[in-house]
Amino acid sequence: MKKYLIKRLGMMLITLFLITLLTFLLMHAVPGGPFNGEKQVSKAVMDALNEKYKLNDPLWKQFIDYVGGLLRFDLGPSFKYQGKTVNDFIENGFPYSAKLGGITLIFVLLASIPMGIVSALKNGKWQDMLLMTLATIGVTIPSFVIATALIYVFSFKLQWTPVYGVDTWKGYILPVIAMGGYSVSFLARLMRSSLLDVMGQDYIRTARAKGISETRVIVKHALRNALIPVVTVLGPTVANLLTGSFVIEKIFAIPGMGGYFVNSVTQRDYTTIMGMTVFYAAFLIAMVFIVDLFYCLIDPRIRYE
Amino acid sequence: MKKFLLLMLCLMLTVSAFPAFADPAQEIIYALANEPDGIDPGITNNSFASPILNNTFEGLVTYSTEDGSLIPGEAEDWEISEDGTVYTFYLRDDLKWSDGSAHTAQDYVYAMKRILDPNTGARYVDFLLGYVEGAAEYYEDNSLGFDTVGIKALDDQTLEMTLIAPAPYWLDILTMWTFSPIQEATVAANGDRWTASAAAYVSNGPFMMSEINLGESFVLVKNPYYYDADEVNLEKITFRFIADLGTSLMAYENGDIDGMSSIPSADMARLKAEDAGVVMTPGYGTTWYDFNCAKAPFDNVLVRKAFSMATDRLAIIEDVVQTEAEPAFSFMAPGYVVDGEDLMDTADDNDLSDEADVEGAREALAEAGYPNGEGFPEITLSYYSNETVGKVVEALARQWQDALNVKIKISNADWAVYYDEHVQGNYDIGAMGWSGDYVHPMTFLQIFKTGDANNNVFYSNEEYDALVSLAANMTDAKEAFEVMREAEAVAAAEYPVMPLYYKANTMLMHDNVEGYFVTPSNALLLKTAYVTD
Repeated sequence: MKKYLIKRLGMMLITLFLITLLTFLLMHAVPGGPFNGEKQVSKAVMDALNEKYKLNDPLWKQFIDYVGGLLRFDLGPSFKYQGKTVNDFIENGFPYSAKLGGITLIFVLLASIPMGIVSALKNGKWQDMLLMTLATIGVTIPSFVIATALIYVFSFKLQWTPVYGVDTWKGYILPVIAMGGYSVSFLARLMRSSLLDVMGQDYIRTARAKGISETRVIVKHALRNALIPVVTVLGPTVANLLTGSFVIEKIFAIPGMGGYFVNSVTQRDYTTIMGMTVFYAAFLIAMVFIVDLFYCLIDPRIRYE
Repeated sequence: MKKFLLLMLCLMLTVSAFPAFADPAQEIIYALANEPDGIDPGITNNSFASPILNNTFEGLVTYSTEDGSLIPGEAEDWEISEDGTVYTFYLRDDLKWSDGSAHTAQDYVYAMKRILDPNTGARYVDFLLGYVEGAAEYYEDNSLGFDTVGIKALDDQTLEMTLIAPAPYWLDILTMWTFSPIQEATVAANGDRWTASAAAYVSNGPFMMSEINLGESFVLVKNPYYYDADEVNLEKITFRFIADLGTSLMAYENGDIDGMSSIPSADMARLKAEDAGVVMTPGYGTTWYDFNCAKAPFDNVLVRKAFSMATDRLAIIEDVVQTEAEPAFSFMAPGYVVDGEDLMDTADDNDLSDEADVEGAREALAEAGYPNGEGFPEITLSYYSNETVGKVVEALARQWQDALNVKIKISNADWAVYYDEHVQGNYDIGAMGWSGDYVHPMTFLQIFKTGDANNNVFYSNEEYDALVSLAANMTDAKEAFEVMREAEAVAAAEYPVMPLYYKANTMLMHDNVEGYFVTPSNALLLKTAYVTD
């Protein structure tokens, strides 16, 4: 196990390094630079800016400097927002994104798993039909459509929730539903098919033959195995939810990380593109790693050597 | 019983509402669609910073919130030397920073010195380099010492600026936030980060920063140390960033916010019909399409004329953009007035009209050697990713294809890529426009001078260059007026761009907010604004 962990950590660092390198190269290959604003600045100003932000250095040197900063957890100054660092964006934005994402995650788990279980147990009956119709709608309708419709009905017409912001707890209701809609639907469907598959396995028949109660069969024997595929997709889902959704944050005007991530690309804010990508990648890799460790807990057949 | 309760409730509401009626809270929330790239007046040239900078900082001169005329700001009075090159400003007594400390002419010197340090990365530094004596040399080589630059504090209340050559519009330029004073102490203590926290963001305008919430809002409160604080009514202004216009519009119609900076074009007609608070003010800017004058086929003035004539401006304004704007026949927008006369009053229409003149356009194209579009190369019409611009581009392409029988390819890229290609001249026709940095024709005229950084159409005309240079250095406003008129006529007749319409500034504000002013350069001045019931 120890050997496995060390090997795995090494792989993670290599992956992260490759992502950093690729992002860096791709970013510089795209035309346009961070100082193209609304108006053209003169050559003298452009030279001064390139000098100030060290864009005149050869690419390899810029990359080494960047990685050097990364090792000190210094993601550098934003090239677009004067006087701001990429660390500012993460320190300010991540708590908002993570809180919203965390609540959404709880909502997703509490809604999707029971939905999937009920659907599977009532396979083919009206409950199954209803839940799966809902789940299909949830997967197919994009979140911004759901979000806009929710705001229109609940904030604008009924005035139950605020139109924008998360200044009060009520502000979280709509974004959580809009953001979690897809994951709830997706995980419910996954849970259902996985549980149906497990319920047909021989060991379930054995368990039933032993005379164990149906509840015990489902909770103790079936569910544990049926959860494995769900846990697998949960890793990336957690990373996605916690690092913020650009669309949801934009529509509800939530000052999370998502906006900076997407805008940095169109603005060619080099350091922000790098910082956000690396942060997200590191988060994703860590989540996948944690999921892998979870397998051992859920499924005794899985052992890492 | 129920009725009684209802009655009681009504009564209670009336009573509790009464004080609010007499004295409504002087607080507003105003939604901004975009976050500025910075709020350092010395550095940024980003128009999104305008609401913050124009209300927290004030320079030597400023705009009146009554009629938008140029009025004394921190300078009470000034003198201009006979030859028009030396400006002496006399500052008001007892000027203070928003932290209560004294503020002198030295602060102006410091701010300008800071801009002229290349490490500051000031985007608008050209406005110093091009006008102030010794500025360009000093920017090139800081070791020369700031003594060589024509900006000096003669004493605590007297500031002298020496220009390279007379520029009668220098006062107009000085209204730009770039020329605001900056407190040296806060920059020394916080470096680049002085704009990152409300406590460090020391300013000198009618309002001061009270909260900076990254990505969320800027909260301004009344600055008690402002010299004219008695005139300031609002206690608190919240500039909230709401990127999605649909969201901000719902918040506006719900009454959660008092105003917003941009109006979704699809809702414009309805909001106007409902009298929902659409505020339209003339802007000092023009929306146009750049012709690449350095490259065939648009190096031919007749081809440019044909395309300009084949454009149905009204159809685009009314049906596509759905706004209220004046069709433009020149690159230069009206709005500059001397002695009650607008520079554009007598301007030629350059054979252009509100609707398309298809016959005239075809003739011009035939004269250029392409009868009925024969032999005309396929051209590319490029634009930057933007919903409204995309619709305009589709409509223009259709109009030109139908009228001139030419082939047009449409290409689209995000702004950074689009602009990069554009500046390098890799385009045929491209969406562009110009909003004046200050209200003076020179802001338009200089960008068509040969070799100007913003001359992305690569227009070049010696006569024009000479006229612009001549006007730039004239001390007599009326004489300069006539020369600029001539320059406008020379360039507009050669269609360096395809003028579409003159910009109007639009915003939404509920009726209970009054006393604010929007300048032609779209600065929302809230100094004298107040909230009624």
